[in-house]
Amino acid sequence: MSQRSTQLLVVGGGATGLGVAWDACLRGLDVVVLEQGDLAQGTSGRYHGLLHSGARYVLSDPPSASACALENVILRRVVPHAIEDTGGFFVCPPGDPGEFPDLWLDACRHQGVRAEEITPANALETEPLLSPQITRAFRVHDAALDSFDLLHALAAAISAAGGSVLLHHRLVRLTARPDGFLAAASESGDRLQYIHAQVVVNAGGSYAGKVAALAGSPLPLALGRGAMIAMATRLVNTVVNRCQPPSDGDIIVPIGTVAVLGTTDTPVDSPDDVRIEPWEVDLLLREAAALIPSIEDHRVLRAWAGVRPLYRPPEAPESETRNLPRTHALIDHATSGGPARLFTIIGGKLTTFRLMAEETVDLVAAQLGSSVPCRTADTPLSPPPPRYHRLPYRLEKLSASGAANRQGVICECELVTAEAIHSALDASPTTDLDDLRRDLRLGMGPCQAAFCAYRSAGLLGGREPGVDTNPGLLSFLEERWRGLRPLVWGHTLRQVELNRRVYQDLLALDDR
Amino acid sequence: MNDLVVVGAGLAGLLAANFAARRGASVTLVAQGRGGLALSHGCLGLGSVAHNPGAFPERHPYRLAGFDKVHPAVAGFQQLSQAAGLEFLGDPETPLQLPTASGAVLSVHFAPRSLAQGSLSASEKICIAGIEGFRDFDSGLVVRGLRRRGYRVDATGLSFPSGRPGRDLYSTDIASALDQDWQSREIARLWAPRLNKVDRVGIPAVLGLAHSVDILTSLQSELGLKLFEIPTLPPSLPGLRLERALRRAALAAGCRVLEGPMATGRLDGTSGGVRALGLSTWTPAGPRVVDAGAVVLATGGALNGGWRATRSGRIHESVFDFPISAPEDREAWIGERLIGPHPYDRFGLTVNSRMQPCGSDGQPFFANVFACGGLLGGADRRTEGSREGIDLVTAYAAVEAALS
Repeated sequence: MSQRSTQLLVVGGGATGLGVAWDACLRGLDVVVLEQGDLAQGTSGRYHGLLHSGARYVLSDPPSASACALENVILRRVVPHAIEDTGGFFVCPPGDPGEFPDLWLDACRHQGVRAEEITPANALETEPLLSPQITRAFRVHDAALDSFDLLHALAAAISAAGGSVLLHHRLVRLTARPDGFLAAASESGDRLQYIHAQVVVNAGGSYAGKVAALAGSPLPLALGRGAMIAMATRLVNTVVNRCQPPSDGDIIVPIGTVAVLGTTDTPVDSPDDVRIEPWEVDLLLREAAALIPSIEDHRVLRAWAGVRPLYRPPEAPESETRNLPRTHALIDHATSGGPARLFTIIGGKLTTFRLMAEETVDLVAAQLGSSVPCRTADTPLSPPPPRYHRLPYRLEKLSASGAANRQGVICECELVTAEAIHSALDASPTTDLDDLRRDLRLGMGPCQAAFCAYRSAGLLGGREPGVDTNPGLLSFLEERWRGLRPLVWGHTLRQVELNRRVYQDLLALDDR
Repeated sequence: MNDLVVVGAGLAGLLAANFAARRGASVTLVAQGRGGLALSHGCLGLGSVAHNPGAFPERHPYRLAGFDKVHPAVAGFQQLSQAAGLEFLGDPETPLQLPTASGAVLSVHFAPRSLAQGSLSASEKICIAGIEGFRDFDSGLVVRGLRRRGYRVDATGLSFPSGRPGRDLYSTDIASALDQDWQSREIARLWAPRLNKVDRVGIPAVLGLAHSVDILTSLQSELGLKLFEIPTLPPSLPGLRLERALRRAALAAGCRVLEGPMATGRLDGTSGGVRALGLSTWTPAGPRVVDAGAVVLATGGALNGGWRATRSGRIHESVFDFPISAPEDREAWIGERLIGPHPYDRFGLTVNSRMQPCGSDGQPFFANVFACGGLLGGADRRTEGSREGIDLVTAYAAVEAALS
């Protein structure tokens, strides 16, 4: 049994939790973060990759729109390395109601969200795959934000400032004490670690309800599952939004080598309910066809879903999640009969994580008697140590190494070398192929691990001869399968069958 | 005008072209791509057809082709492979238990000598050797897998004397280097110290494409031990060797091969829709017509493009657009886990006992169109271990029906 104490315990290592911890570190507080999985394993790593300009919400949720517009400017300044300035379009496909765009443009002006009308011909010149029949087009300040890069940069900054980010630590008990809390976290299911904390921030995202329940304080949440599809190629270089009220399938985001079609919104009961149904896929492709008519001719790569946690104010209707306010909620549990010094920060968007953190830590700092102001808006984050995350980086590295000392490419789709895998394994204690995937993009390309799963399992086994790599290999393949199973027709069916030829017929893999 | 045009250059298509050419027919083989043999272990799995034919359900390709075709088809394969210089060991009754590159066990009835020599036995200790710098075979995975299954195995690492190319090694790189110069002396000198007191050693299947038999023989005699090969990640040499041998045999028997084009069925407007005229193909030089007395479709299953599935739930055969029945709901096509059975495994063309594609009424679409191999539905080839057996027996039956 190990013990430690800290001023602030943050539960949840997504963008919100890490944002809170980073802010607190900059104010000189002592911080520990508990994350039940790996970095970017939860909703933060399962979003469409958009840095909002705010334009999406100017009519439906004006406070969110203004917050996004402000944060958009701040994040471009403090995490430029995680952002690609793609710019964004709002376009009107033929047949969409004619009065909306003017109302929307007017609201943009009111909310301080920059939007500028351009000619459809102009938009088509930049994005030739767009429907030639669009009637109007507007330019906005959307961008692509890589949450993997953001989270790695935050975690590195927290560690550098003396804070601790404990991955694969699941909170199992949270007991209120006169001087704060006693938290118990289990590491990989066995060893318990005890942490005394003066203040606890619940940034558990879609799991926040479970965290609050551990402290005996209920939290009314609405969980909405958002499904997304990654197309195998980067179909657009600009974020393309449909100019209409927020609805299913209204956006295409270019991120890295792919283009992401987003999203749906289906109420779910459990944060673990990330299974995608065929109708969600059909809907996303049908809606995307209004923006890019040839969408069905392109290969779909993978589908996934993230669960959005929205705070449900007591007066909101039960049935709906799409129209719940996207603004965040900061809850002091003491005000509703819960324990003192427990705060929940919930809702919001990835774009506003910094603002949410600022408001939260303002409260935490006051509680701890600190009056140091927030500094996150003007403290740039250092780029994380290279995680081989970006394809150009890996390509450059690969072509720079001479023929004599080069090591094999294990994953050809994403150019992950044996050397990269070894250094990732040296840097962290994990031996899980899925963690390597999040670190290095192993198995995330068009072939979805047909070749690299075997090769990297061999490499892992070579490092730890005592470990049986078979279960890990199987579970990696099954994890890849989860993103393919809603897409089994056409090219994806052929890809799935190729992978089965390799693993079931050539290797006769089974769970024995 | 051809007697027969065969579409597809995988195992079923190559066998059909050979069987037909050896019967004296004039044959053209049309193939859009390479066929599936680069993904194959290059062995023949028949399933339980020889000792328990009752296990196969109604409408199973074996049942439609007729169990009486199994024996002559296997005999035909053996003649063919021998003539092509390949030596297959095994028999249709007792499967060989061969190690795979993940240390699992593959059950097949006929295997080329280099693989068959790896037949597993509980008593004898074997050694598995990986090749330095070659990513597509890992001796550690093989050894751990086989030990888990109770076999006695050791691992070692070997290297080849030829320099490595300035890029990653694939199985075909090593094989073609050995084909040019099999360097048995140098290899034996390098390997002998690592193979002390070993009687039988398994290595990745990279011992040549064209000269695999000679390379194996000469290495074994230099080393004074028995070598066996284990199929690697694709490209899989044992499959490629079979492809090469069957292609050469077909060409030698007078078969023409037309590679690359997409093929579309051509119908005879004057026959009242009873007959097909052959194919239209799209070559780089423009459309080309291949007329034939009969068409044998050997275009494969979901992977190889014999049938295609759309998002809307429609499945159709690729050359003549024959409908293939399947549930409209895509969820009903797939199983829960990747590594497990999936309902779509059984999807495919319905044929009658003459191997003629037919509709739900049991009537053939055309009198002179036949189908064989992976395109046929009604079989779970993985669970049955019958993939190559179905290719062989249905290719044999389709050619017989087409030429009768």
